[in-house]
Amino acid sequence: MSSSSKPKVLLLGEIDHQPSKDAFNSLSSIAELITPKSTNREDFIKECKSGAFDGVKAAYRTFNSVSITGKFEGEVCEVLGKKGAGLKYLAHNGAGYDQCNTTDCTAAGIRISNVPTAVDAATADTAIYLMLGALRNFNCPLMNLRNGDWRGKQPPPPGHDPEGKVLGILGMGGIGRDLKKKAEAFGMKVVYHNRNKLSEEMSGGAKYVSFEELLKTSDVISLNVPLNLTYQKSTHHMISTPQFDLMKESVVIVNTARGAVIDEAALVKALDTGKVYSCGLDVYEEEPKVHPGLVDNPHVTLLPHMGTWTVETQTEMELWNIANIRSALETGKLKSPVPEQKDMDY
Amino acid sequence: MLPDEVVKPIVLLLGEVVLAHNEWNSLSKIAELRQVNHGTREQFLNDCRAGVYDGVLAISRTYDSTQITGRFDQELVDALPSSLKFVSHNGAGYDSIDAHACAARGISVSNTPGAVNACSADTAMFLILGALRRIHIPYTALRAGKWRGHMGLTHEPEGKTLGILGMGGIGTAVARRAQPFGLHVQYHNRSCVPEQMNLTGAKYVSFEELLRTSDVISVHLPLNASTRGLISYREFAMMKTGVVLVNTARGPIVNEDALVQALEEGKVWGAGLDVHEWEPEIHPGLIANEHCVLLPHVGTATVETQTKMEVLVVENVRSALERGCLLTPVLETRKMVNGFGPLGEIC
Repeated sequence: MSSSSKPKVLLLGEIDHQPSKDAFNSLSSIAELITPKSTNREDFIKECKSGAFDGVKAAYRTFNSVSITGKFEGEVCEVLGKKGAGLKYLAHNGAGYDQCNTTDCTAAGIRISNVPTAVDAATADTAIYLMLGALRNFNCPLMNLRNGDWRGKQPPPPGHDPEGKVLGILGMGGIGRDLKKKAEAFGMKVVYHNRNKLSEEMSGGAKYVSFEELLKTSDVISLNVPLNLTYQKSTHHMISTPQFDLMKESVVIVNTARGAVIDEAALVKALDTGKVYSCGLDVYEEEPKVHPGLVDNPHVTLLPHMGTWTVETQTEMELWNIANIRSALETGKLKSPVPEQKDMDY
Repeated sequence: MLPDEVVKPIVLLLGEVVLAHNEWNSLSKIAELRQVNHGTREQFLNDCRAGVYDGVLAISRTYDSTQITGRFDQELVDALPSSLKFVSHNGAGYDSIDAHACAARGISVSNTPGAVNACSADTAMFLILGALRRIHIPYTALRAGKWRGHMGLTHEPEGKTLGILGMGGIGTAVARRAQPFGLHVQYHNRSCVPEQMNLTGAKYVSFEELLRTSDVISVHLPLNASTRGLISYREFAMMKTGVVLVNTARGPIVNEDALVQALEEGKVWGAGLDVHEWEPEIHPGLIANEHCVLLPHVGTATVETQTKMEVLVVENVRSALERGCLLTPVLETRKMVNGFGPLGEIC
């Protein structure tokens, strides 16, 4: 029996920064802050069924907390939601929330928020780094130098300049729009494709093109779409063999979105044939597993999903996520609810 | 010799043409083309002194040809044939040539400014981002099958102050790229850059203020007597704790022992270097340091830029042959009035 009449807030995962820890702890004036004892999905479901989380109103989850609960779908939603512990609000600390099944959460009465905007700059920075690494073929010289071979036993093939090239941005959300500004400073021309055409003001004058035209005319293609499995058109394997076939010879691919947007095996084939000159990737279909065809390729630039892993952005994201929790507790509304649930009642 | 036949001037290529073959070969209409692409400095000097290159009017040299002939220092310049009037150098940095010695001998020298700006600035931005993110750690961890390894949280450019040391063509190109990353740009230069050349509105500061107040410092100076060892212990002591240093200019501008110490002490958060004091030798303290991003002087290594540079080298030679003056002469030899056209007239 709980002695507190305050609603509970469940913390799933870690909050890393002092300002964010302080902000989270300050919620204790309006909520009881609890954490699970479980460290895997099976135990977590048992712990929930035992009543440990009864009265929970809001939960703060991190990307990495998937190791505790598994994906937020199926039974996890049922035992936590309106027929179980009573969870109403799930604040996901990240822009991409594909770990949360919006259909199952909606059915369980769980409203999801994500963290847009705070991620934009750092993700776009990462995309630029990956694009330069791929275009300039920097991986070879970086590796060869550290191996004591200066530029390499064979001089590495020279790379290419971004200046004058066409960057096709797939997905013109906050990250895509920030990327456009940065890419233009390198002398690139930007075209974009988006679910909906943006106003001139929003798109900053970038040319809106169809998906096919973007594939056919871009020298560099950057993926900046969410991984959607259930909403509108699925983006799973949006880039696969038929799409590679439409692309220009020697195209460069950059992915800072989600690995599964690209058919990784098809990408490896396209690299091997030279259709794709190089790629810069921060995300992978089965991360942390990376396709061996990529790891073995010295001409690609690979990073381990670290696009937003800076002190500045992580702090800002945590604070935003906590603000969603506070808003839910104090006003009954989330600050940044996900678009799939826009028709959901509060 | 028939009256209407002209003896073509001789142009000597030191090194290889890699991309601009058509442009180079087109010079054969107005010059006799010769080439040295192997050998030693000793051989080259002996050949010069023995008169092998007598009659050569213009030399076209590549950056890598220094490996064959050594630097164009006083000794080499003294050995060059008296017929030589022009040296067309491939590279923006021409510290491998003693330009004063050339000027004293009446030899005009050109480099390849402009052509290198975008590419070099792109390299600098790559290193700035890489150094802020301490990218070496996750980069190598992934390839070693360790995913992120011991990667920690790092930093981003937004809101930081970028100090550009040397606001020439490359520094200006960096300032333009830096803007959308949210970097506040300040610079130090020999002289304040006029407004029409400073479209990003970067703030002019003294050398000391740049050192004291910048979060990121990017070096874009030529290497000469006054810039050799410019960034050393005294300068690192003045910098902010946690500063990021990037050098795409010339290695010897930065004292690498001092840099290694500053990295080990945590004064320097990360460094991004494309050039090295003793390249191709890398300071072992830098190799051992995982907070560095190290490139082997590939700042202009793209097909597009290498072509532009080689074409400019050829155009300088063409200009020398047809008009008696180089297109893009270096400062030290710019004021020289020299040269003569193919028929011996003074221009």
